[in-house]
Amino acid sequence: MNVLFGLVSAMVVGATPILLAAIGGTFTFYAGIFNIAMEGMMLVGAFCAVLGSFFLHSWFLGILCAVAGALVMAGIFILFAVKLHTDEFLTGIALNLFAVGLTTFLLRDIFHVKGAFTDAGIRAIPAVKLPLISGIPYLGSLLSGYNLIIYVAVLVTVLSAFVIFRTRFGLRLRGAGYNAACLSSSGVPASTIRIWSLIICAVCCGLAGAYLSLGYVRLFAENMSAGRGWISLAAVILVSGNPWGIGVISLLFGFFDGLTVFLQGGRIPTQFTAMIPYVATLVSLYLYSVRKKRRQA
Amino acid sequence: MARDVLIDLQHITKVFPPDTVALSDVSVSFEAGEIHALVGENGAGKSTLMKVFYGLERRDAGDIFFRGAKVEFRTPREAIAAGIGMVHQEILLIPEYTVWQNIVLGAEPVRAFGIIDVDRAREVVRQKIEEFQFNLDPDALVGDISVAARQKVEILKLLYRNVSVLVLDEPTAVLTPQEIPQLFAELARLRDKGHTIIFISHRLDEVLTLSDRVTVMRRGKIVGTSAASELTKEDLARQMVGREVLFTSRRQPQEPGEIVFHAQGLNCSDTEHRARLHDATVEVRAGEIVGVAGVEGNGQFELVNAIMGLAPMTSGTLEVKGKDITHADILTRRTLIAFVPQDREKMGASVAASILEDAIMTHHILDPRFRTWRGLGLNYRHAAEFVDQIRDQFTVSMGHSSDPFNSLSGGNQQKVILGRELLLETPFVLMDQPTRGLDVGSIEYVHQLLLDLRSKKRAVLLVSADLDELFMVADRIVVMCQGEVVADLATDATSREEIGYYMLGGKEVAHAETGS
Amino acid sequence: MRKQALSGILGVLAAFAIGALVLALQGFNPVATYGALLQYSLFSGSGFTATLTRAVPLILTGLSASIAFASGPVNLGQPGQLVMGALGATLVGLFVHLPSVFLVPLCILASLLGGALWSGLAALLKRAFAMDEFIVTLMLNFIADYFALWVITYPLFDPSASTPMTRPISTAAWLPDLGGVNTSVLFMVLAAVVCWLIMSRGRSGYEWRMTGQNSLFARIGGCKVDANYVRVMLVTGALAGLAGGLMIMGGPHRFVKGLGANYAWDGIMIAVVASNGISGTFLYGLLFSALQQGAIGMELVTAVPSEFIDVLQAVIVLVVVAGRVSLNMVFDRLATRRKLKENTR
Repeated sequence: MNVLFGLVSAMVVGATPILLAAIGGTFTFYAGIFNIAMEGMMLVGAFCAVLGSFFLHSWFLGILCAVAGALVMAGIFILFAVKLHTDEFLTGIALNLFAVGLTTFLLRDIFHVKGAFTDAGIRAIPAVKLPLISGIPYLGSLLSGYNLIIYVAVLVTVLSAFVIFRTRFGLRLRGAGYNAACLSSSGVPASTIRIWSLIICAVCCGLAGAYLSLGYVRLFAENMSAGRGWISLAAVILVSGNPWGIGVISLLFGFFDGLTVFLQGGRIPTQFTAMIPYVATLVSLYLYSVRKKRRQA
Repeated sequence: MARDVLIDLQHITKVFPPDTVALSDVSVSFEAGEIHALVGENGAGKSTLMKVFYGLERRDAGDIFFRGAKVEFRTPREAIAAGIGMVHQEILLIPEYTVWQNIVLGAEPVRAFGIIDVDRAREVVRQKIEEFQFNLDPDALVGDISVAARQKVEILKLLYRNVSVLVLDEPTAVLTPQEIPQLFAELARLRDKGHTIIFISHRLDEVLTLSDRVTVMRRGKIVGTSAASELTKEDLARQMVGREVLFTSRRQPQEPGEIVFHAQGLNCSDTEHRARLHDATVEVRAGEIVGVAGVEGNGQFELVNAIMGLAPMTSGTLEVKGKDITHADILTRRTLIAFVPQDREKMGASVAASILEDAIMTHHILDPRFRTWRGLGLNYRHAAEFVDQIRDQFTVSMGHSSDPFNSLSGGNQQKVILGRELLLETPFVLMDQPTRGLDVGSIEYVHQLLLDLRSKKRAVLLVSADLDELFMVADRIVVMCQGEVVADLATDATSREEIGYYMLGGKEVAHAETGS
Repeated sequence: MRKQALSGILGVLAAFAIGALVLALQGFNPVATYGALLQYSLFSGSGFTATLTRAVPLILTGLSASIAFASGPVNLGQPGQLVMGALGATLVGLFVHLPSVFLVPLCILASLLGGALWSGLAALLKRAFAMDEFIVTLMLNFIADYFALWVITYPLFDPSASTPMTRPISTAAWLPDLGGVNTSVLFMVLAAVVCWLIMSRGRSGYEWRMTGQNSLFARIGGCKVDANYVRVMLVTGALAGLAGGLMIMGGPHRFVKGLGANYAWDGIMIAVVASNGISGTFLYGLLFSALQQGAIGMELVTAVPSEFIDVLQAVIVLVVVAGRVSLNMVFDRLATRRKLKENTR
């Protein structure tokens, strides 16, 4: 039983950053932007979270800093890709490079360390005990006691499904992706919708970054997003943006991520268990293509 | 009938970079409650003028007055707010959305928190449909309805926003001859309710039938405005083209030779198993031009793709000059078929490449003179000479062969493509909408080229949405409807009405929907 | 071409200006910093040769990305292919005992094969299952990294070392220095020349470029686009693999931990600023190599952290890429104004 709970908990923990980033990516996906900058936004978010938490002595201000940092990245994306019409893919690549360069530079410049910064002064985001539910046996330990951001992520997922499919903004958002010219001629500039989608994406990635550095662990390490932004992009493509589908896929990745932790110390070398999330991405891409082919045949 | 001037455009000038003058000092006014036709050949500047007015294109000089006041619409939104709506040539709707979603998009009725009030939206759309007698289902997916119905959705979308001025850009281009009267009845009804309609067209008959006044444009300038009742078709044509125009065919009588192209019972289906081509059989003889007519999306594109080997067929056989190419790869087909695709930028060339690079495609494989270094290298010297040959033979006006392809005008781009394909010296030539989007001079050039091919005993299959074009050059016209070849008619023994009848599948629908 | 060069030079200068501003705001002296940067990368004998050696993997992975992007496949797998190429060369260097004349070519062949194997895997997945190569190659990067780490931690671990690394490869496979410049530079230049010939003078290069610009057009024109796709993937993988092999043979002579990490996105970055041109890739590769080489000296002299260069590189990418588009817009606007004047006259 404890093993099961441990695995579920590890799954949820691993799923959260991917879920948040993918939900952000789904907004830009629906808006018709080829956005590959989630990785960079997350990384900058993770750095700014540590920065804010350490200097302002508050995890909450840390989260705000993370979101602000990711928003700056979104601002650059908007300036180049939306305003100056630079290729979205190239802008994304440049932004990801910028994120790596900037965070390693600032890590050195501000904290005077190389590789990673950890300090007792960094305030972590607390875990939350759900009232009522936490008292129930089994269910309580299954659902309660997770990090605050995890509950936020669940909320964000539900909210985004609602916004995308039920609201005016959602209708316009999807319209921007389906046919931007049509939306613009309907009196809503597609570029405005795209800008908003990028802002939402940045907020989500900022939260994901804050979770990485203040929730998952309590430190910032160079390049600590470790491809999660790319995995979340794969998740978005796999389910063509559907938020519920993203939830399921993220849990799946979380499961494999959790498995990684579980298999550590076993007979399998850690190098192979560490590959699991990336192999899982390839396997799900494969399953997706098989399903697509079967539907066509 | 004296009406008030509603819209006044003064001295409008528009330049497309780098050096195309689309509008040159254009002044024209439109009156309230009239149907005003704006006519001219492709490229005369009609659409550009209206886009400038509508806030879609920025102008480089000139003033716009609406209801007596100087206005500046920076976006379509501002134009719509002022009561002006435009229906574009290419239909701008979202196929994944329903009719009501498309209509309310951008002006949605909402409840708290921006939640769309679905009931109210559908109710308002239903009322509008009734008010204007448009015969539409608000819950149908736009992707599933006919082109004519989509056009109604576009018009309704604007009426939903309470516009009083409607600009329609070539609304009949996508309709069959039978669907046109219905649209005209609807437009006349709108005018009678007090709407002003600006109607862009290059088809003279419909202009004279529908409009109250006509303004003719030529090469970015206004030729003149007159009451439709005072004009004849010949006047209009002369004004549009700037000289006398013959409406008769220039085909010389000629006996066709042996069968060169033979497609027998072609079938293919799309990813959802819908038949896109159903038992299509077409044959073309040497020295014969066979036209393919049909409402867009009735299998013409699939037919072309099947011939070129771009999409798999489920059954059927293809033969060129007695050689079975049913299962041949594209390169083998290219030794027998010259192909001018409908979309220059997507299929006919790479716009990012140089003229030379676009001009030598296929030749670089089939012609050994393009090879050097034991076939590893490309002989750029020979390639440059080849471009010179195309330039001289097909009168392309161009700079250096290393200039970018998109530095050429549309007509010259098409000439390069035509030159490349025709110099393959193949027995069979397949052309899909070769004159779409070209200026008058280039269109005439292409038609002359087609007739030359005919007298050189080549076999030509010409897919065209322009019935006038088909009647001008084709010996026979086959009509496609829902993937089937429904008629095969000798041009001299048929009429536009008969073709139109078959385009709709031989069904009499023209006036059934109009109501009374 | 001239427009390209102009926007490149303007972009790099603008990026340096932005960098100077950042330095000044941090209280550093930009002139002294840039001076040190140049001193340690170009204007000292040892600095310059080090810059050239460092440029080997940068230019080769840059060429790999440039050729891939120009031809269609979005091969983002240079880091993984580099690692596999390095592994290939290491294996041959460790276990094959031959004189130099045979061993050096054999090691190079192994590195080409190692890279091509890894990109070929992505090509196979694309052709057989329509899996997007851009995600596949990315995931394969991570997998290659961990795989190589396992190889040097367990089967090929050098027991005398404290961190994971292999034993040194046979000295017969070492690439010697010629007048201070490592011979790996010669192989790199040779590869670049071959790339240029293929892309600008070859028939396959022509077909690849046309396919990259408009694959439907190339397909209709009779080009075998599917076969070309696989060829491009294999060639670009081999180029990245060669980078890895040359790094082993010319540098530490053994596979050490974190070998690929330093070059993760550099090749793609260089291809992007060079807009996939071969000569542009070569020049930008030298520039970025000089920046990275000078960074260490710069830190010694001016106390500016060497990571500043990472930021500067990213700024160069953003400014050059955006500048290219903006500059075209400016040219268009100038042309419009000229025409307008003619018209009103």
